[in-house]
Parts: sequence; C-alpha cells; structure tokens
Amino acid sequence: MSVLARSIGNAFRNKVRTAAVVAVLAVAIGLALAMLVANQAVAGKVAELNASVGTVLTVNPAGGQGFEGGGEPLTAEQAATAAAVPDVSTVVGTKALRLRNAAAAAVDAGAGGPGGQGGQGSQSATTVTTSLTAAVDAGTLGTRNQAAEGTTGATGTATAAPAFSVPVTATGIGAEVDTTGKALELTQGTGLGDYTVVSTGALLGTTLAEKNDLTVGSTFTVKDQSFTVAGLFDAGTAFGNNALYLTLPTAQTLAELPGELSTMIVTVNSLENVDAAKTALQAALGTDAADVSQGERNLETAVSSLGSVKNISFIAFVAALATAGLIILLIMVMLVRERRREIGVLKAIGAPNRTIGLQFVLEALVLVALGSVVGAAVASFASGGIASALISSNTATATVTTMAGQRGGPGIPGGMPGANPLGGASQLLTSVTASASPGVIAAGITAVFGVAVIGALVPALLTARIRPIEVLRGE
Amino acid sequence: MIEVKNLVRTFKSGDRTIKPVNDVSFMLEQGTLASIVGKSGSGKSTLLSLLGALDKPTSGDVLVNGVSLAGLPDGKLTEYRRRDIGFVFQQFNLIPNLSAVDNVMLPMEFAGIRKAARLERARELLEQVQLDPDKHGRRINRLSGGEQQRVAIARALANSPKLILADEPTGNLDEQTGEHIIELLSSLSRDHNTTILVVTHDRSLANKTDRRFRLQQGRLTEEAARSRAAAGAPA
Repeated sequence: MSVLARSIGNAFRNKVRTAAVVAVLAVAIGLALAMLVANQAVAGKVAELNASVGTVLTVNPAGGQGFEGGGEPLTAEQAATAAAVPDVSTVVGTKALRLRNAAAAAVDAGAGGPGGQGGQGSQSATTVTTSLTAAVDAGTLGTRNQAAEGTTGATGTATAAPAFSVPVTATGIGAEVDTTGKALELTQGTGLGDYTVVSTGALLGTTLAEKNDLTVGSTFTVKDQSFTVAGLFDAGTAFGNNALYLTLPTAQTLAELPGELSTMIVTVNSLENVDAAKTALQAALGTDAADVSQGERNLETAVSSLGSVKNISFIAFVAALATAGLIILLIMVMLVRERRREIGVLKAIGAPNRTIGLQFVLEALVLVALGSVVGAAVASFASGGIASALISSNTATATVTTMAGQRGGPGIPGGMPGANPLGGASQLLTSVTASASPGVIAAGITAVFGVAVIGALVPALLTARIRPIEVLRGE
Repeated sequence: MIEVKNLVRTFKSGDRTIKPVNDVSFMLEQGTLASIVGKSGSGKSTLLSLLGALDKPTSGDVLVNGVSLAGLPDGKLTEYRRRDIGFVFQQFNLIPNLSAVDNVMLPMEFAGIRKAARLERARELLEQVQLDPDKHGRRINRLSGGEQQRVAIARALANSPKLILADEPTGNLDEQTGEHIIELLSSLSRDHNTTILVVTHDRSLANKTDRRFRLQQGRLTEEAARSRAAAGAPA
C-alpha cells in the first residue's frame, strides 16, 4: 500500500467526521470560489464599461442638442481642435438627419401640416424624405407631440393634426460607433468600411428593417438616392432600432451641409482623465460655441460601485480561502494529536519523518479535493446570487450616498428629480452575470489547494517532533 | 553483536527522580536468544526502548556491531530501527485501518522494497506465524488478540532484522500457538543468526532461552545460562 493509498484510507477512517469536515470545507471553498467568480465577473464588467462609454464625452453645439434648441452647428475645424486636446484619444463626428416617409410628408404638405419641410425652422435642411416607413407607430405620444409642434408651424396657423408618421433618425458617423460612442452590435452583414467617404451603404436597426421587409443587400431611397443595406444592428431599444447609420460625409451631403457636425463623440484615454479632459475640451472649444457633457457621467458612480464590489469580493475570497486553510490546519493538528501513538508506531518501525509528513499532507489534500468538488457545485449555484446580492447592496448604498450628496445641489444632467442617480448605470450593474467558468473555478481550486498544502504543512511538521517512544504510551 | 554499557535512564516525577534502568551492562552475541524477566514496572519496557533506539539514555551507551547509538543522529537512528530492529510490542501497535498483510508490508515499504516482492514476503511471513490465509486481507480490528499478536510478530520479521525485541510475544496466544511462536523465534536465532531479546512473565518461555536476565528496580542480573537442549527448547 502506497503513501497515497494509505492517506486516502485514513481520510475515510471515520466516515461521520470526514463528512462533517468535507461539509465545512465545502462551505468555505464554495464561498471562496463564488467570491472569485463574482470578482472576475465584476472585473470583466468594469473593463467593459471603461472600454465603452465610461470615458466618452459628448460635444453639442452651445445651446442646441439633437433637433432641439439653437446656436451654431459644430464644424470639422472644431473636431480637429478637440482631437488636439491632451488625453483625447479619438474624436468621432456625427450628423443627424430626420427622415420622413415621402408619402406621409406629401399628405402632411397637402393638409398644411407642420411636419414637412420648413416645419422645424432651422432644422429644415436636416429633414429629408425616404422610402422607409418608421418602425414605431405615432401612438398617443407621437400624435400629441405632433399637435404641439403644429401650433408653432411655419404656416403659423393652428390646425387639427392629421394622421402622423414618426420620422426615422439617420445618423452619419465617422466610425462604427453609435451616438453614445459604443461600438455598434451588428447582428447581420458588415459595417460600412471607410466611414470618412461618401457611400451608398447603410446600417439599419433590426425593427426598421423588419418593418420595411429589408434584409442585407436590399435597397431603399433617401432623398431619391438609392442605398443598400450593408448590415443590421440591434441597439437594444425600440427607439434605437428605428434608426439607421450612414457614413458621415454621406449624411452631410444629403443635408447639403458639408463639414457641419451635429455632435462630436470624444473618447478620453482613461477614466481618471475624463474630468481634466472635459475641462480642457470646453476651454479649447469655448463655452459660447460648444457644450461638453459626459453623457454617461453616472457610469463613473457605477464603475465605482462595481469597483467596491470587486474589492469586497476579493477580500471575501481571500478570507474564505484563509478560513479553508485554517480549517485544514485545525483538523490536521487534531488528527496529529489523536494519532500520536500511531505516528510513534510508524517511526518505531522505521518510517522517515518525510514519509509521515507526506501522508498527512496527502490526507489533507484528499479532504480538500472532496470539499472542492462539493464547493464547486455550491459555487456554480451560488455565485450568481452572491454577485447579485453584493451588487444590489452596493448599488443601493451608492444611490443613497449620491442622493444625499446632491440634496440642494444642481440636478443630474438629463435626469429627473428624484430619479435613480445611477440612471442606466444601475441596469449595467444588474446586468453583471457571474457564471462559474471552468477556468475561474480551476484557478480558485488551485489557490485552495495551495492554501491547503500550507495549512497541512504545519501539522505535518509537528509529526516530525513526535518521538518514537510515543509508541509505548499507555503500555 | 549488541553491547550495553552502563546504561542509565532517569525520569523526573515531581521532586523525585526515578531510575527504571540503572547502570545496566551486558553483551549479547549475534544469534543469541535471551530473555528478561521482572515484575511489572521493573523497567523492562524502558530497557527495550533504549535498545531499540526508541528512546535515548540519560547516560551510557548501546553499541550495535561496534557502532554507538548515542552518537547517531535521528535520521540514522530511524534507519537503524528500519534495517536492524524488529519490534513486537505488548499491545501489538498495529495500524487498525490496514489489513494484516498491509501491516506486515509497512516496514518493507519504508525500506524501499518493491510492492510485488513485499506482498510475497508478507504472505510468506503470515503463513509462518500460522495466520489463516483467509485473514491476510482482513482489517486488524476484525482479528482476535492472538491473531493480531501473530501479525505483530510477522511485521517484526519483515525486514529480516539482526535484533528482535519482543515484549511478551506469547502473552495473548493460546498454548499451542505460543509454543509455535517460541519455536519460530528459536529457529530464527539459530538458523538466521538473529539476536532475540524477549521480555516475558512466562517462566516456561524464559527457560527456553539461551540466556536469562532478571531486572529488579532498574538493575539487571543474569541468571544461570542453560543450553537449549537442556531447557527443552526445540532443536
């Protein structure tokens, strides 16, 4: 019988005790693995957030945003100025267009309605006709908004609002990103290739394409020009999917406004530099020419919350790991004390200290192996729940802290009074999925075994101090 | 050859100093079958533990083939116990969760003997001590006291030691098996030139040994030696 076989046999010598030890170890190891899984999941999410929108600044014309407000449009020269600001890594210009269904626009014009050309005053040049039909029905909100616009129409005459069709938003982009700077998630087809040249390709939202029976390769018209669907994207919202993307020069050409930009999406090289870059960018562009905002400012809080969760989960992982090591240490010390006489026997018949020590280390590892199997099963079921619990408790704390800090202060940009200050970030927080991947579990179990070896070494070394005369104890 | 020189072992018990072994000296030629008799607590087991390097003497020395045990480091003493000594303990001291054959294989495993060879030797030894072959694979805690005693003797013989130290080797055996064990020990000393020192209460066993010692209050005296033939030991 080898040392290993003897160790396995010894591990099962007292089955009730073995079961109890394995159960306790499984809890500690399961907790350690669950914390590691949560830590890895949160770390991944933090990296994802930092890499996507956490470092993005949005530049709008001073006093204007989208199709609202006023002021002077942004220019290509301002984009070059923004690109020269320290810590700015990229500047992507966009040009927004409103596409109105040609047939609906003709009906509106015949009825003297406000939605056609001239209906938006200064924005008229960015409203063009298309063969596309919006994927969103006007509904109560669209009709109401249309009625409200009707009172200020170019005709100057308040009229009863006719049947209304919601416009489609077309955005010219200088890179394959959406209006928040996040990479487009193409579900079919390809991108538009070079976004700095005029192209007849377009990327359509999935519901817009479905509404118009379009697939990759289909064609449609904008301002009587034919465009081919190069790809479909999923923005994740009904509003976002009622849109299409063109290359920036294409949109500028359609609007007959070359060099003009609706917004600039500025990406800063790191989250830490966002505030400084924002200040420098505002100074470089001038407060009278551009409004610089951190559209996803609340993500900083989100990332900070996730960072806390990451730290907590790592500390808990280390604590659970240390607990597992301590359990092994205490159990093995107990076993060594209990088997003093047996160790004396082994020494009396010529067993070297290293063989006896190795036997106890292997016995500890057998117990840890059993605990790891059960613990991994526990972790695979519990890690999601533990991660969610950690994230929700930290999100709640961050929410309370943020709201308390903002009492009497200015409102959150784009937010509503009393709304969750984390805004969309809380959705990002809850979207962290902690799945127990084999790699993470393997890494965790390796760490557990490392700690177990350290925990078992102390009692194993204790066996070396036991003298063979112990064999005569009680004789 | 084993030579004991002025061996002393003292223990402290409160303010008192106990001397279970007090200035013991004797010499045994290789192949001698010797016995030590004495009352309980007379220091017999302590003397055996000193001879077997389980314990260190307070003073004096034990020389095995001219080599002093007092000068050996722990590693060498372990090697000495593994290679040169076979113990038969009064309470057997077998490993309870191992089988009879596994217990006998243990000293051979520590000596680095291959598994197949040690299994064969273990079975052979268990047959020599007349343990039913059906019980070779049985766990120790499922064997009777007499069967465990036989396994303990087989284990002591495993590495063919030069010196066997046996504490009441026939104490738990019936008369017939006891006789067989005495015969086995006698043949080992005679045919294999093994020195055997037996601690016993059994006068009949003591009378069958080449040399007979009495330990009284830590002091060893030799009783008249007898020839085995005269003692009626198996020839």
